[in-house]
Amino acid sequence: MPSPMRMAGLLSRATRNMTIEAAPASSTRIVPFLRNNASQCRAYTQQRPRCQQSMRSMIPAQNDFSTSAFRAKGPTMGQMRQRHTTGPFSWKAALLFVLTGAGMMVYFRVEKARLERKRMAEMSKGVGRPKVGGPFVLKDLDGKEFTEEDLKGKYSFVYFGFTHCPDICPDELDKMAEIIEKVKASTKDEKLFMPVFITCDPVRDTPEVLREYLKEFHPGIVGLTGTYEQVKNVCKQYRVYFSTPKDVKPGEDYLVDHSIYFYLMDPDNDFVECIGRQDTPESASKVILEHINDWKREGKPLKTV
Amino acid sequence: MGWLPWSSGDSKNAASDGGRIAPDRTSRARCWEGRDLFFACLDKNDILDGIKEDKKARQKCAKEVEEFEAACSQSWVKYFKEKRVMEHNRDKTIERIQKEDAAKVKELKSQGWGSK
Repeated sequence: MPSPMRMAGLLSRATRNMTIEAAPASSTRIVPFLRNNASQCRAYTQQRPRCQQSMRSMIPAQNDFSTSAFRAKGPTMGQMRQRHTTGPFSWKAALLFVLTGAGMMVYFRVEKARLERKRMAEMSKGVGRPKVGGPFVLKDLDGKEFTEEDLKGKYSFVYFGFTHCPDICPDELDKMAEIIEKVKASTKDEKLFMPVFITCDPVRDTPEVLREYLKEFHPGIVGLTGTYEQVKNVCKQYRVYFSTPKDVKPGEDYLVDHSIYFYLMDPDNDFVECIGRQDTPESASKVILEHINDWKREGKPLKTV
Repeated sequence: MGWLPWSSGDSKNAASDGGRIAPDRTSRARCWEGRDLFFACLDKNDILDGIKEDKKARQKCAKEVEEFEAACSQSWVKYFKEKRVMEHNRDKTIERIQKEDAAKVKELKSQGWGSK
């Protein structure tokens, strides 16, 4: 394939010739003058020996077999010349070239972004990688045991918080609800996305409290709680800063420091991406959907029940 | 001390399984509204730290502080007051750095850097 630079050069030449040839067709009075001019012009500017050659051989041939004046045959000559000087480069070719180029560019961009995401996602797989997430045992809002196995087969979206959180968690949970709706709409409700809220404050956040709390944000959020030790363990697995006081008196009023990131985990339960305060519901759901679509495109298994 | 303004004791806030019921959306909104009114009053009276200048704040914004503390639990009141100071300092620092940067750029430009 010729280099793009060369192609572009040829194309511009083609269009220049086209404009020159277009003029005689519209006005017969200035035809001879323009035609002369045009052929002169071409004779001087023409750089390709192949075309010069063919033009030279063509002009005597015309004169030999024609009884009429050379100029009378103008239009035909003009067309033939054009065909010879521009070669296969017509506006159709130009359009095809531009469209192909644009198509390739779009394709390469998309593919590059996909590979970059894949590289990021696979960074947390394999041996010797920093590990976010891991085995844990908690219980869900019905009191049933819930482990990391229950997260597998779906993209999970894990958030740590506590119900007595003053302002950040409620904001983030509202965002989570929006993200859930957006992902749900785009995946046609395939149930391959599982939003999870893990409390850092198990003493106050019992299943009953969590259920009431999460209901206000989105009914689809899976709430998890456990004993102090279990919660401490899961925070450690997810590298979440955990500062819950151990022995709090009933009724005591306290706050818990905790990290404020969402963790996107793939169906193998490997960490994929962090969604933080700076993300909008739009940007976050875009990132999530990109990962889900990559996973689907690669034909990897997903649980949709 | 009531956990929430409309509940005098702990009994109402305790869930049946031993947990503690958290403020819901309405009470959060009420608390934030109380906070905003109180902070607006502090701004008006040029008070930054509601904890250090507690006395002055209570004097100038008696009504607001009362409403704020009634609408939020104690830990939230403390958290919001501290956050106000922290955010103020943060904004000041950012502003200072931006000013320093701008001055530096100006200085370098006057010395002929980056004229191209």
